[in-house]
Order: sequence, then C-alpha cells, then structure tokens
Amino acid sequence: MAKITYVEHNGHATTVDVPDGWSLMQAAVTNAIPGIVGECGGSRACATCHCYIDEARLGDLPAPEEGELAMLDMAAAEVRPASRLSCQIKASPALDGLVVHLPETQG
Amino acid sequence: MLHFDPYSPAVDADPFPYYKRLRDEAPCFWSEEAQMWILSRYADIVGAGQDWKTYSSAAGNMMTELPNRAGSTLGTTDPPRHDRLRALVQYAFLKRNLEGLAGPIRDIARGAADELRGETTFDFKDFSAKFTVRVLMAALGLPSGAEAIVDEDTVREKAVLMVQSDPRTRAKGPEHLAAFDWMREYAAKVIAMRRAAPRDDLISNFAMAEIDGDKLDDREVLLTTTTLVMAGVESLGGFMMMFAYNLATFPEAREAVVLNPDLLADAIEESLRFNTSAQRFKRRLMRDVTLHGQTLREGDFVCLAYGSGNRDERQFPDPDRYDVARKPRGHLGFGGGVHACLGTSIARLATKIAFEAFHEVVPRYSRVADQLAWMPSSTFRSPLVLELAVH
Ligand code: HEM
Ligand code: FES
Repeated sequence: MAKITYVEHNGHATTVDVPDGWSLMQAAVTNAIPGIVGECGGSRACATCHCYIDEARLGDLPAPEEGELAMLDMAAAEVRPASRLSCQIKASPALDGLVVHLPETQG
Repeated sequence: MLHFDPYSPAVDADPFPYYKRLRDEAPCFWSEEAQMWILSRYADIVGAGQDWKTYSSAAGNMMTELPNRAGSTLGTTDPPRHDRLRALVQYAFLKRNLEGLAGPIRDIARGAADELRGETTFDFKDFSAKFTVRVLMAALGLPSGAEAIVDEDTVREKAVLMVQSDPRTRAKGPEHLAAFDWMREYAAKVIAMRRAAPRDDLISNFAMAEIDGDKLDDREVLLTTTTLVMAGVESLGGFMMMFAYNLATFPEAREAVVLNPDLLADAIEESLRFNTSAQRFKRRLMRDVTLHGQTLREGDFVCLAYGSGNRDERQFPDPDRYDVARKPRGHLGFGGGVHACLGTSIARLATKIAFEAFHEVVPRYSRVADQLAWMPSSTFRSPLVLELAVH
C-alpha cells in the first residue's frame, strides 16, 4: 500500500491508498480522479495517462523502459524531464507519500 | 450449493445473477465444471490483470484454448516476449494512425446500412457481419474485390466458429478446430501475397516490421494474423450485436443517441461496462496466492470474469442500470494492464461510425423476440440472431 497524492492542473489535490502492484493510472481512474484518462487500459498505447512526478522522488522509481519513452513522445501536453506514463508505475511501499502532478490536457 | 459452469447455456444466456452470487458469497470460487478459480470482484480482477508475473497468459487466455496457439500470440505470451510482439504490431493500431481509415469505414457503413432500406424486420447480424468483415478486410489488408481469395461470409463464419466451444464436451469440437486450421491456411496465403508485394496495410506492415534488427518469425506472423482476424471479426461483430441489443432494449437510450450522435461514444463505453461481449478470460498462476481466505496453488488456472467486475456494486453504483450518461471510467470491457485490448481505438471508431450510418437509415427499432439464442462460448457472449422491428 502507498499513499499517492494526485494534483490536478487546477491545483486540486486528492490522496488515495493504492494497493501494491496497482498502477498509478489504474488507481486514479478507479477513484474517479480527473486529469488521467487511460484510454488504452494501461497497455502503453495511448499516452493519455501522462503525469509529472515530484522531481525529488524520481529516483525512487524504476527507470522508464524504451517503449514508455517512445509513447511519451505522443503525449498531448508538454513533456518534461519528470514526465512519466502513470500506467507504467506500480505502487509499492517505496512510493508512499509520492505526489504526482497532472498535465493541463491528455489530448 | 453455489455452482458456476461457464459452459452452461444458462450462463451463455444470462451470467449476471450467477456473478452477483459469486461476488457476494464466494469472490474467489473454485468451479468444478471449469476446473479453475473464478475471480468476480472488480478490485481482484484489476489486481490480477496488472500482475502478469503472478497471473500468466502463457498457457492461453481464452477459457477454452485452441491447440498450439498459447505462447505465440499477443494474448498468450508474457513480457518480455509479449512486449516485443506488441511493439511490432501496435504502431498501426494507435489512434492517430487510424485517422485515415475513418473515411473508408464510413463508406463501408453507409453501404451496409443502405441494404436495410425498406426492410420492416431484419437480423442485425446482416448489418454487423458485413460491416465488420469489410472493415477488417480494409484495415488488415485482407484481399477483397478482384483480389479476393475467398468470399467474406466464409471469413466471418470461420472466425466465429473458432471462438465457440462444444457445450456438451466443454472443449473445442472438430468443427471449431477445422475452422482454426482453415484460418491458419488462409492467413498463410495472405501473408505470402503481402510479402511478395507489400502494400500499405497492417499485415504487410507487421510482416515486414523491424525494431533494432528484430522481426517476427514466420510462426509469429502467422499466428498473429490468425488472431487478429479472429479477435477483430468476432470481438467487433459480437460487441456491435450487444450494443444494438442494448439500444433496442432501452428506448430512451436509443432516442438519446439518435437525437445526438455525439452521445454514441459514451453509450459505447457504458455498453462495454454493462454487458461486454468479451466476458471472461483466463490466466495461470506462477506462484501460490492467498485470496479471500483461499489458497490458490501455482499452476492453477484463474478466470478473470471481466463481465462481473463491470457489475460490481463495490465499484459502480447501481450497476444493473444501463445509463448512457454514466461515463464508467476504468471499466473492464477491454481488460486491463499489459494485455488490454490492442483494438480499442479501431473498435471505438468503427462502432461509432457504424451506428451513425445505421441510425440514418433505421432510427427507430425494437427487439422482436424476448428470448434470444446465445452463442455457446465460455469466453464471449452475444446473441446468434438479433431480429429487429423497424418502427
Ligand atoms: C469492441 C470490440 C472488442 C472487445 C470488447 C475486445 C475485448 C478484448 C479484451 C477483454 C481483451 C483482453 C484479453 C485478456 O485479458 O486476455 C482483448 C485483447 C486483445 N484484443 Fe480485443 N476487443 C475488441 C476488439 C478488437 C479488435 C477489433 C481487435 C483487432 C483488430 C482486437 C485485438 C485484440 C488483441 C490482439 C488482444 C490481445 C492484446 C494483448 O494481449 O496484448 N480486439 N480484447
Ligand atoms: S493508459 Fe494508455 S499509455 Fe498509459
């Protein structure tokens, strides 16, 4: 279990308990958090689950695979060094307290 | 005593009361008939779907698997092999790469709808079958028109037979296996044609696709093509039958989408939740798991009952209501995780265009029969015939 805080583009923040192994996209969608779409269901095929990870915590996450980086290129909002696809990030105790910022648009 | 037999005609016809009992009384249930565990709650299915290391697809993902398929297709491999296959095939299915298909799909939809003009009753399958096979032929690049090597009805018939199973023996019968062999031979011919003279279509694309010097081997190209034809024709056709069934059953929903076709997208999502055509898939455990007080052993098969998770009141309020305004985020109609459907974009696009064209010709309709004949399948669910009356 990890507490994850999602901050929407308008500043609205929601914190949810995410079971281990669940992706951050899945937890957002299941908890009806706006700002993450997840159109492809988490198969790394849409980039509508784009998010920005709190920079200070980037090192707590496994590095993105090549396929994630390729798909990130298709994200609708600006891609920054802290950009990730939230469907590729799995919750674990190491991520407890993580803050993720959601982009202005998912396209 | 609780029973759940995914091979029984009663479950083909209406699985939802069974699902409800499973969710409430036995969320992790050993089905003697199916010889597998049944997961029926939303959260359990989502958890399993994301954990491919524990819940493996490599021993097959259809409830009743076809011989020699497991291990060589997208749906029946685990990462990293799966991800490699998917990367080679996926490009053409991305939403932005499908835009060019909207025009041709619209022409196909109008053509198929035109044939219904003047009818007072008809089987919706006449429309959905023609439409799906033609769309898949156009998208995949299956030879049609002057180039055709078989007629479209045969392709559809075989694709549908492949996903069925024999209700008595609970296995694939000779006719189902023969259909699979037929499809493999057909795919082999098409691949040979496209390799000899590649065109701008899906099969040419992935038969030739290369990433860092890596390409699909012949067996992978063959089984991927076979699976795409089957998944495409049966899944899209079956889902369109279910969508028409819902619109014919709930007149307010039909009136709303006819009046404002922009609502079709939401109605499609709600149909994927409410009674998706892809009801149940399976996985095999790679380690022991404890769930709801039960111990599931390594090697056991586990059914992910997507259709049940979609009706779980723990996730969707008032789940048995078909509500086109619901916007059911996170539904399991396309599965989820690494194996989430490859065809999501083309399925959404094609269904929307099909119903726009259909409603231009037939805006008011209802079901003729109360009781329907349902396809015998432990994985998929759709009516064999959907007789509609035009008002
Ligand atoms: C509305 C229509 C459709 C529905 C409801 C549907 C449903 C599904 C579901 C539930 C899965 C997950 C299977 C699992 O968990 O093991 C899946 C996978 C898949 N679907 Fe679809 N599907 C549809 C249309 C299509 C179309 C049109 C195509 C191809 C042209 C397609 C190709 C595939 C493939 C290749 C997979 C395996 C993906 C993987 O394992 O990476 N589907 N589909
Ligand atoms: S949900 Fe589609 S790429 Fe993450």
